[in-house]
Amino acid sequence: MDLESNSVEKQQTEGGGQEHHPSMYPSAMPGHQPGILAARPATVEWNYPRANASSLENGIPSISGYHDDQRTKDPAAFQDGKSALSSTGASTTHDYSAYINNQNPADPYSHAYQSQYYNYQHSTTDSSHQQVGIVQDTGATYQPLSSFQNASSYPQTNYSSTYYNPGDYQTTAGYQPQAAGYQSSDYTQQTNAWNNGNYASHQYSAYSVPDANAAQYSSSPAVDATHYQQQYGQWPGYYNQTAPDVMCAPGTEHMARSSVSGGSSLPDLNQGYPAKSNQPPPPGTTSWRQDPPASSSPYFQGKDVAGFSQTNDWQNRPLVFGNTPRAQAPPHFQQTLGSPTFVSVDEQRKTGYAKSPKMPFTPPGQVRPNFRPALNPLPTLEGLRGSKFQIPTNPRIATNLAFSVSKTDKESAEKDASIAPAYINVSVPSSTGEGTSHDSSQSLAKGAFPPSLRAYVERSFARCKDDAQRLSNQNILKEIITKATADGTLFTQDWDTEPLFTLPATSADNVSKGPQISFSLLSLNKLKRSPSRRAKSRWEPVVEEKPPVLTTNLNPVASDSTILNRFTPKTAEAKFAMPPSSTFRSPRKQAKKTRFSDPYPVQNGGVSSDSDKDQELTKLLSGAISMVDSPEERRKREHRSKRFEKSQEGKAGGHKNKAFRAGGGRNKKSKIPFTAKFDDAPRLAVEDMDWDSFTVRGTCQEIEKRYLRLTSAPDPSTVRPEGVLEKALALVQSTPKNYLYKCDQLKSIRQDLTVQRIRNEFTVKVYETHARLALEAGDLPEFNQCQSQLKTLYGEGINGCHFEFAAYNLLCVIRHSSTNRELVASMARLTPVAKRDEAVKHALQVRAAVTAGNYVLFFRLYKKAPNLSPCLMDLYVEKMRFEAIKCMSKSYRPTVPVSFVSQILGFSDGEDCADWLRAHGAAITAHADGNLLVDSKATAAGLYMPEPDDAVPHGDSNLAVDDFFTAKF
Amino acid sequence: MSEAQRSVAEFIRRFSDAYILQDGPFLTPLIAVSSCPPSPALFSVANSLSPNQDWGRFLKPFDAQLGEIVNHHLRAIQFFYSGRYADAYSAFEKSANVFLQEFRNWETAWALQPLYTIAYEIRVLAEKADQELASHGKNPEKLKGAGSFLMKVFGALATKGPKRVGALHVTCQLFKIYFKVTYMYYTGRLEVYNENFLAADQKLTYALTHCNPKRTSNIRMIVKYLVPVKLSLGILPKESLLERCNLPEYLNAVQALKRGDIRLLRRALSEHEDRFLKSGVYLVIEKLELQVYQRMMKKIYMLQKLKDPAKAHQVKMEVVVKASRWLEMDMDIDEVECIMAILIYKNLMKGYFAHKSKVVVLSKQDPFPKLNGKPVGD
Repeated sequence: MDLESNSVEKQQTEGGGQEHHPSMYPSAMPGHQPGILAARPATVEWNYPRANASSLENGIPSISGYHDDQRTKDPAAFQDGKSALSSTGASTTHDYSAYINNQNPADPYSHAYQSQYYNYQHSTTDSSHQQVGIVQDTGATYQPLSSFQNASSYPQTNYSSTYYNPGDYQTTAGYQPQAAGYQSSDYTQQTNAWNNGNYASHQYSAYSVPDANAAQYSSSPAVDATHYQQQYGQWPGYYNQTAPDVMCAPGTEHMARSSVSGGSSLPDLNQGYPAKSNQPPPPGTTSWRQDPPASSSPYFQGKDVAGFSQTNDWQNRPLVFGNTPRAQAPPHFQQTLGSPTFVSVDEQRKTGYAKSPKMPFTPPGQVRPNFRPALNPLPTLEGLRGSKFQIPTNPRIATNLAFSVSKTDKESAEKDASIAPAYINVSVPSSTGEGTSHDSSQSLAKGAFPPSLRAYVERSFARCKDDAQRLSNQNILKEIITKATADGTLFTQDWDTEPLFTLPATSADNVSKGPQISFSLLSLNKLKRSPSRRAKSRWEPVVEEKPPVLTTNLNPVASDSTILNRFTPKTAEAKFAMPPSSTFRSPRKQAKKTRFSDPYPVQNGGVSSDSDKDQELTKLLSGAISMVDSPEERRKREHRSKRFEKSQEGKAGGHKNKAFRAGGGRNKKSKIPFTAKFDDAPRLAVEDMDWDSFTVRGTCQEIEKRYLRLTSAPDPSTVRPEGVLEKALALVQSTPKNYLYKCDQLKSIRQDLTVQRIRNEFTVKVYETHARLALEAGDLPEFNQCQSQLKTLYGEGINGCHFEFAAYNLLCVIRHSSTNRELVASMARLTPVAKRDEAVKHALQVRAAVTAGNYVLFFRLYKKAPNLSPCLMDLYVEKMRFEAIKCMSKSYRPTVPVSFVSQILGFSDGEDCADWLRAHGAAITAHADGNLLVDSKATAAGLYMPEPDDAVPHGDSNLAVDDFFTAKF
Repeated sequence: MSEAQRSVAEFIRRFSDAYILQDGPFLTPLIAVSSCPPSPALFSVANSLSPNQDWGRFLKPFDAQLGEIVNHHLRAIQFFYSGRYADAYSAFEKSANVFLQEFRNWETAWALQPLYTIAYEIRVLAEKADQELASHGKNPEKLKGAGSFLMKVFGALATKGPKRVGALHVTCQLFKIYFKVTYMYYTGRLEVYNENFLAADQKLTYALTHCNPKRTSNIRMIVKYLVPVKLSLGILPKESLLERCNLPEYLNAVQALKRGDIRLLRRALSEHEDRFLKSGVYLVIEKLELQVYQRMMKKIYMLQKLKDPAKAHQVKMEVVVKASRWLEMDMDIDEVECIMAILIYKNLMKGYFAHKSKVVVLSKQDPFPKLNGKPVGD
């Protein structure tokens, strides 16, 4: 970071020989610093682990970088900030040392470790979804906070790594390690290269990170080039703002690009870059450039070029932000190259990210919208994989693409876009990237105010609705022009293409209207909505337009969530390592609360007055929502918003059970509560979480529903609320269809009840109904399930037919308990009241008859069995009969009339009994009078228990194939 | 070298190989002195050892510890197979002590399995030794010694690391030594639950005879389970025992068995249902029903014999129904018939039932066999 600062200074000195604009830094810095400080506590946590893992780069660098920038202006402030972070009154040298460490040959490993470490973290976080979100947030936080490229780069790395792991790409940890290794090797090489070059050792450190990138770059030169260009562009832009030297930066950019196009490796580029720029290798710049690659590198390897490019985007973004605040001049924003890339990507992809492209191109006034898009990424994430959003092509964007991204690299660009969309949004301001290039080319020339600037001013005023806006507009313009003058970019800036800055929040509406925007933004219409309303839409039901809702947060897919996290960083809330959810919930709140120096605030600071920052931020966030208007997307959003609404309502209602109506997706489930939690207390421990808030609230209105065993978190849209379930139960009870249908329906009802954690008398009723039906159908497994559920339900004091089922339970226990312990236990559980119940009494008698082997009593009890007890007693009939005939054949002599056996063993008639007896090996003789007699002595020797007629190989006749094939639902 | 010596040398070679190579599974069977059947190696050496045999030269190649272990172990084997259990125990304990010392020095837990065997063997040997000592009128102290040795083993195991798991095993052996009464009591109760009345009787009787006679509460706990077990085996307690042990809940049951009064049994069951269910003897008491019926039938039979010895062995169902009516048991003839059939089926009554004439024809020889310690139905 020090290097950077130095480089910056050098550049400035060289380019203009001018010193930094005092005004610039003061203006920008104040806003930043407070934010940073605030952010630190949150970020620090993360940083430390990283530092421990390997190099200090991640944690400290980012901060240091930031401070460094400041330092150029205000060294003291810088150090203070540093000390706060590292808890060391670190001087610049100190920082350097840290970097040097990184540079060491061991560094590559350290990098690898870091990446791994991150992975590890990630996994941890995965276990608790929320945490993941946090991590990502941190990363995001960093970027925005740092606003400076250096700082951002590391955090980004972290962030990206996390993202990838969880993300759609499904890259595994293994992949990252590889990347790490890869990086390390690259790193070493690069280091060498760097050493050769002009850069100082400390620069190395910065480079070390880039090295990995370099390797990656070599693999995909085109992409690299693009990124570099972007970065370069950003750089120049940044510098421009800070000092007149800006011109140099553009030049360097060009150089870099050329080299890239040549296919030279990154190291080359780096070396060449400084040289070509003619600037003394600005340590700061080098480090800066390097950083982004470094961050990207791990990903890159793991993923593809795309991943890499994304990382770059990220980096760019932060840069952009940084620029914005400082420059406060819209042109600078536009100049950042990063944005063009995004645009291109978007176009190609036509994914949900389309929004992002729009963002970049939106005029300054639209900047806010852009911010909103940043939030949008979450929603878009959902869309990412699945559907593609139509992105309105922007001519400018196209140009940008050509300019910044080599078309050969489309793939990479696409990938970038996919990942980067969030970034894109951020970078929206950076759409100026074009500008930088143009600036460089056009540069120098005019005296006084260029006509293009005049037109720009006119445009900016034209969009003002009221006096207040005009006033703020004027003030902002003043600042911009002053800065531009100070930077020396006044004439170099392409004011025609410079997007208009954002007006204060009050004029948010106006922003959307901003006619000055040269780009035809399809989404502009949406911008017209009042930001406040949009913001609302996120947390609350959308009144008018459903699509804009940010429900994306709730994406069911884990990967999405990760993406979300990734994006969240953009949102101010994310910075502070707040869970992503927090962002969604009340961005405003958080912004106010934390007051960190977010990128957004920064931007706002540049454009609008500080007092408005918070408001502005919220508006931006809210407004950022969706730029894309494709019907498909709209529908999706509507859907999502609906779900989200519900969840919000539930929360508001404070019903724990109902709290989570929305709950549809898994992530929703997990995340929303989380978010809610974090709103209140960002650092809630897992055990403190209100898990009740995860409860699903169904929205399905279908009465019939087939049972499907859940393999994932339940989707509220397929879960029926209690009212519908009651109808469903009534339907089942009245339907003439067979048991298979009823069982299926009842199981789905039970599932819906379980999922929604409904445990009341209705639940008991459902289980009782199913248990009875199962008994009637002889479906013991299902009956047992119901029975065990009923046991706990009754245990909770819910009313139902306790006694009836207590009786069933007893009858079951007799059969199932191999030892008597369970039987005794369940008898002991019976209350005196229960023992007076007829059904229970009967069951107890049956139990006694069974244990005593008293078949006469058993079959008498069978005949007067209440309820469905006969169904259960049926289970013993065969056994009891067999035992009885064994007993009788041994004790009766010489014969027993079949009619008698039939009578006492509960056969319907003698013939039936005779058949049964014959089937069991009894010897039956016919008496002279025609009566059948059992020859007991002969029978005693030949009795056997035949295989049951309905036996099936798998042992469960209920699963008979015939039933299966004839099953109709 | 004689066959016997060769056999001893072979055993020593196996033992030392397993020991040096730290092959626990291979070493274990060589240690299990009392195992039945013994491992072939152990068996062959056991038959080859003689009191005066000197195997010192075979042990020379080994270090002192191993030599000592093997030396004492061979002695133990020899004594064991010659029936001198006290000496076998002493030798085995010496061997085990050295082994334990070495065990402490091993970092791995390879010897856990042999150590388990040692822990088991030392207890079994001690028990046998104590039996022998007691039979010779000497003080049976070996089990105590085994207990203290196992405590040392426990000390070696109750550390951090892989050996720790062995502590449980040793604890079990210790439990059997120091808490055998408790052990028997609980396993006896388990047998009551499982209706293994013979095993329950044996274990609970052991617990009763070995428990501290001054601990009346312990005695009561044991008797509480032992009484139902004995009842189901046809052995009735004296009333004084039940009174002394404060177990009045069994009085009615015992009376019912004596008198053949099913009423009393039912009353006992309903009066003390909770208690019986809680202690888990409810079903055991309930099963006494058949014995009560048997007693009732016997009474009828005796009465008929008094009246008319010639026809005493024919018991008409109407008589039985009348009897049960007197006992306030509301049973019709079918139920009574069923009970008669069950009594015959369960061998509580010898004879047969003539359905046509509704008469139980009793065997003239011992129509109501006594259980005499056998469970019903055997």
